[in-house]
Amino acid sequence: MQRAVSSYPFAPSVKVKLLNAGFHSAADLCDLRPLQLSKEAGISQEEAVEVLQAVRCEPGQERAAASQLTALELLEREQELGSIVTFCSALDTALGGGLPVGKTTEVCGAPGVGKTQLCIQLAVDAQIPVCFGGLGGKSLYIDTEGSFLVQRAVDIAQAAVEHCGLLAEDAEQQESLKEFTVETVLSNLFLVRCHDYVELLAETYLLADFLAHHPEIRLVVIDSIAFPFRHDFDDLSQRTRLLNGLAQQLIQMATNHNVAVILTNQMTTKVWNGHSKLVPALGESWGHAATQRLILHWEGTNRLASLYKSPSQTEATVRYQITAQGFRDVPHSNQPKASVDPTVSQSGSMSKRPRMEEV
Amino acid sequence: MTQLSKLDLYFSFPQCFFLYSVCTGRLYFLQDLLSLTPIEVMRLAGQSYQQVLVLLKSVSQSCAPSMTTALEVWKQRADLCFSTSLPGLDRLLQGGLSRGTLTEVTGPSGCGKSQMCMMLSVLATLPKSMGGLDSGVIYIDTESAFSAERLLEIAQSRFPDYFSKERVLEMAGRVHVFRELTCQDLLNRLKRLDEDIISSKAGLVILDSVASVVRKEYDTSLPGNLAHRSNLLGQEAATLKYLAQAFRIPVVLTNQITTHVGDGGERGAVSFTGVPSEEGSGYVTAALGNTWSHSVNTRLIFQYVDARQRQIVIAKSPVAPFAVLNYSVQKEGIRLEGNYDNQEVAHQGTDPGLQPIRVWTGFNYNLMKDTCAASGQLKLL
Repeated sequence: MQRAVSSYPFAPSVKVKLLNAGFHSAADLCDLRPLQLSKEAGISQEEAVEVLQAVRCEPGQERAAASQLTALELLEREQELGSIVTFCSALDTALGGGLPVGKTTEVCGAPGVGKTQLCIQLAVDAQIPVCFGGLGGKSLYIDTEGSFLVQRAVDIAQAAVEHCGLLAEDAEQQESLKEFTVETVLSNLFLVRCHDYVELLAETYLLADFLAHHPEIRLVVIDSIAFPFRHDFDDLSQRTRLLNGLAQQLIQMATNHNVAVILTNQMTTKVWNGHSKLVPALGESWGHAATQRLILHWEGTNRLASLYKSPSQTEATVRYQITAQGFRDVPHSNQPKASVDPTVSQSGSMSKRPRMEEV
Repeated sequence: MTQLSKLDLYFSFPQCFFLYSVCTGRLYFLQDLLSLTPIEVMRLAGQSYQQVLVLLKSVSQSCAPSMTTALEVWKQRADLCFSTSLPGLDRLLQGGLSRGTLTEVTGPSGCGKSQMCMMLSVLATLPKSMGGLDSGVIYIDTESAFSAERLLEIAQSRFPDYFSKERVLEMAGRVHVFRELTCQDLLNRLKRLDEDIISSKAGLVILDSVASVVRKEYDTSLPGNLAHRSNLLGQEAATLKYLAQAFRIPVVLTNQITTHVGDGGERGAVSFTGVPSEEGSGYVTAALGNTWSHSVNTRLIFQYVDARQRQIVIAKSPVAPFAVLNYSVQKEGIRLEGNYDNQEVAHQGTDPGLQPIRVWTGFNYNLMKDTCAASGQLKLL
């Protein structure tokens, strides 16, 4: 703090002006703002900023540089990161290529609509080798409801491996297919079963270390984040605080470790004005927690996925189905046109009963 | 949440879940620390930020569940399911009822839910070579629907060669029946069920039924009751899931039905029997609401087609598609009808919380087409 101004590596003219203005040691300069310094010492603003940054403690300077990125650098980084396909091309298009890595996505839906199926599909798809356009990474599946059944994961993995097998053209792809088998897919799918919110919180604390030790992990699934938080809490404000803290930690991990985080939420019945509606659970403030929000819902016998919130994609609704192979497109071309407001109920189209499709 | 006052930390037992306060001489649970922000822990523990982070990390390590991979789970796949001895159902469910999950059987009264439960109890006591679990059964009966005579009749009719007089009595001795008639009793029983599971070496837990106690005590038209009821059901579900997973056993629950009053618009559901639908003002669906539909892992709906025929509908399952099987109730329990080799399976379905259930009322009660959001007056019985 008592280091003399003359010992710093400034330009001689700057040094002379500082000394003439009466600044002899670093302590004199510490509390000044650049504009003040430039007026007092008669140096330009850029020179004043340089002087002050050199004089302040080293860590501050490094921290300021590290958290600063231009949009160009961010663009390059985002394009490098890629996304995880869902094998439903309509949904992939709506999401802009697939589930984005480095962001948190929330999937809400009514019971039985396919949230767990989507999560298992993504956990398998994150492992698709790079030469097939995938990420070649590993997945972590945090299960709080007990709905992860390994038989289903095997079916989905088998279908994905077969699909890639059909696509393999050149030697490189054939080679990487040897690494992409059902056994390797299962062995790269880490599984944690949390029974209550305390275990979930504990797991999240340890997650940062785990991701640092396993840098190949590209996807973290929490299925579901709603169940442990919906029945144990008398104090709702504590629940909100814990959920927000959790969301922040997950966003941090997504950005720092380049993983995609997907959270599943449930729906709850909200009664107002004598009507009841299904809305995502965990309250209004939770809506802000995730970067992207996908809502899966039923329309008659069809399953629809609506992208409700996204910083880069427009709102869209697509149809999908769950087959024995997993999460897939609907084969016929009767997709609804991408409606901007999916909440408007289509009361006019209920004239026909859905046809039975034999598969 | 317990109020934590100023603490000194003793880590003489790093694996234990409590810490000892020198000042107040009380024990607190370490896991409560995870609910506090680091700043609060600093204040209570009187330690620096870095020390608190280390503390939280070691607390997390002792609280966090262990990690495994899907491959290791798959290697133990011989033990994944409990066969229901109904081949069509087993094939759709990829082996049977999954261990470690909750399976719900719901439907109108008299359809055969308790019969299914009693049949499963018999199956669980069979040796493994016959597809059973060779274990005891815990049967929690809240409706007094359990009949020991019927249990013996099912056993002797279904496996006449195996069940001699002594074996049948021995089987009856392995089924432990608990009668709980109030919500609080039921919750207390569930909280201590792990002791009963261990002492009776149970491989199957049946709760018949979840809905009856809850609907007796909670009138959802009164304010606050709905939230309280959801809370109670959530606790029950969480306890049962923990037991199911910790002991690797299947848990079967039964549920009742309720009327979902619609807005008179056209509603529909997948109907495999080709019966034309009529206008109506409401339909019947599984009770206990939307939140409960999330909590169960598998939902099987037992319903009537007409006076003679009945159906099992797989309404929600992580492994099975939406499918319908015909069955009847016979002396030996449930028997599937029809040929299931080329089963017609649709990749459609409906919301298992809103799937209409057919009830035999003497006149044609038909299904209505569903509109998108459940708009309408939801009257929970």
